[in-house]
Amino acid sequence: MLIYVVLFFIFLLGPIFIVVSISFTETEFVAFPPQGFSWKWYQRFFEYEPFIDSFIVSVELAIATALLAVALGVPAALAVTRGRVPYANTIMTFLLSPLSMPLIVVGFALLFYLSALGLGVSFVSLLIAHTVISLPYVVRTVAGVYRGISPDYEESAAVLGANRMQIFWYVTLPMIKPGIFAGMLFAMLISIDNLPISFFFGSADTNTLPVVMLSYLEHQFDPSVAAASSIQLIVAIIGLFIVERIYGLDAMAPAS
Amino acid sequence: MTDQVRRGTSRGFSGVVSPWWIAVTALFLVVFFVIPIINNLLNTDQLVTLAKQRPASFYYEKLFTDPYYLGIVADTVTLSVGVTVICIIIGYPVALFLVRHAGRWSGLVIFLLIAPLLTSIIMRTFGWRVLFARRGLLNDFLLWIDAIEKPILFLNGPTSAVIGLVHVLVPFMVLSIASVLRSIDLQLEESARILGASRFKTFLKVTFPLSLDGIGTGFIIVFLLANGSFVTLLLLGGGELKTLPLLIYQQFTISRDFQFAAAMSNVLLAIAVGCLYLQLRLIKRKGVKG
Repeated sequence: MLIYVVLFFIFLLGPIFIVVSISFTETEFVAFPPQGFSWKWYQRFFEYEPFIDSFIVSVELAIATALLAVALGVPAALAVTRGRVPYANTIMTFLLSPLSMPLIVVGFALLFYLSALGLGVSFVSLLIAHTVISLPYVVRTVAGVYRGISPDYEESAAVLGANRMQIFWYVTLPMIKPGIFAGMLFAMLISIDNLPISFFFGSADTNTLPVVMLSYLEHQFDPSVAAASSIQLIVAIIGLFIVERIYGLDAMAPAS
Repeated sequence: MTDQVRRGTSRGFSGVVSPWWIAVTALFLVVFFVIPIINNLLNTDQLVTLAKQRPASFYYEKLFTDPYYLGIVADTVTLSVGVTVICIIIGYPVALFLVRHAGRWSGLVIFLLIAPLLTSIIMRTFGWRVLFARRGLLNDFLLWIDAIEKPILFLNGPTSAVIGLVHVLVPFMVLSIASVLRSIDLQLEESARILGASRFKTFLKVTFPLSLDGIGTGFIIVFLLANGSFVTLLLLGGGELKTLPLLIYQQFTISRDFQFAAAMSNVLLAIAVGCLYLQLRLIKRKGVKG
């Protein structure tokens, strides 16, 4: 069984390892095993304007998405978990429902809808679309953490005369911080890797990194895409590491 | 639950944020998620197109009567089901290992499962293209062990697309099954063993049936994801295997027949909603968990 599990992880991680090692090749073409060692494909990444421009768009978009998703998701998660809300379960299902829709359908529908509203292909449209699909992650992580915290703390504060704002700020917020943080990171990671929605909103100013990488790959096949992927991976690993430190990894299981 | 709420009320505490906050978030989702999709469902007719505008029914008729498009709809479902079943077969033993045998290594196993989820789908596809290339690692290996005489064209076929999809989706399956396996009371298995059942029989008669819920959840997650994915097919399938999402992408980028793309996205949506309905049935059967 152990052998099987090891083989499984070779299958799972092998392609990623290959891409990372290719990004350091000295050759002008994709070669595995890589020959020599050089940073030149990383240099190419930072010199090739479409890559670096779209990388900046992606990072800005990821941060904006995370902030908006938290602003919308946290209050809703708190209210639905522990407010006097009728049909709380149904509402929760509704808040999580974007998770189950094919992303390409959401992107397609939103493109025409937002164009009709006059937003068209713009950063704002991208932000709205990405927020729709990352909101469920924030709601789920925050609700998960909040559910595990006894209501006694808040009730004690209420009995002692704290008002809602004070309870939220001094009691609830410090306790749900790990959930908010994890939710934000999820939202960022979902946004930064999204392709099925982003490609609908592609233009010179709004192309995200995955969109540029895809169109690059459709025409040429060189190690610069490997370098771009590796940079994205490093960003993700740093995020994962932070979440693990603060929150524990079990909470990240999608079906938990 | 109701008791708790009532007690809370009697003390004058009704949650830390006003329930109205839900209205704000729900409104956002209604305006930017529900209405656009309904709009897409109803207004396939009105999408801005060229002069040759046709009624929506024309496209649905084309999708469901033209054998070519009917084949694509069937292929989409078959591919998703096939990938999901392969994920169950490959993933189940890993989930079992994670829950029962990994012990203090379980943190590492979970990390290794999640790490690929955070790499971009393009990265993983790129890796497979290198492996499958005509002069790639796999061909070199097969040539070296004399299994083949000439390099085989792995790329750009259904096989490489299926492998790529399984690779992307199998962690979701493992995590879904593992979270249910973890909740199974170990005493049930011990009892079966004490009563004389063999290890294998215990697994078959006790553990496996109890883990069916996890397989169900995993099935729905993986099916939905496989159903909507096109990047893997685009970069590994080589156009031989066509599915609805891939066709939507191509209609959008190449043919620019938006009406047809809208009709196809509605069919895709219908498949997803059907799958969600199954999920709700499954949850109802389990009883709603807080």
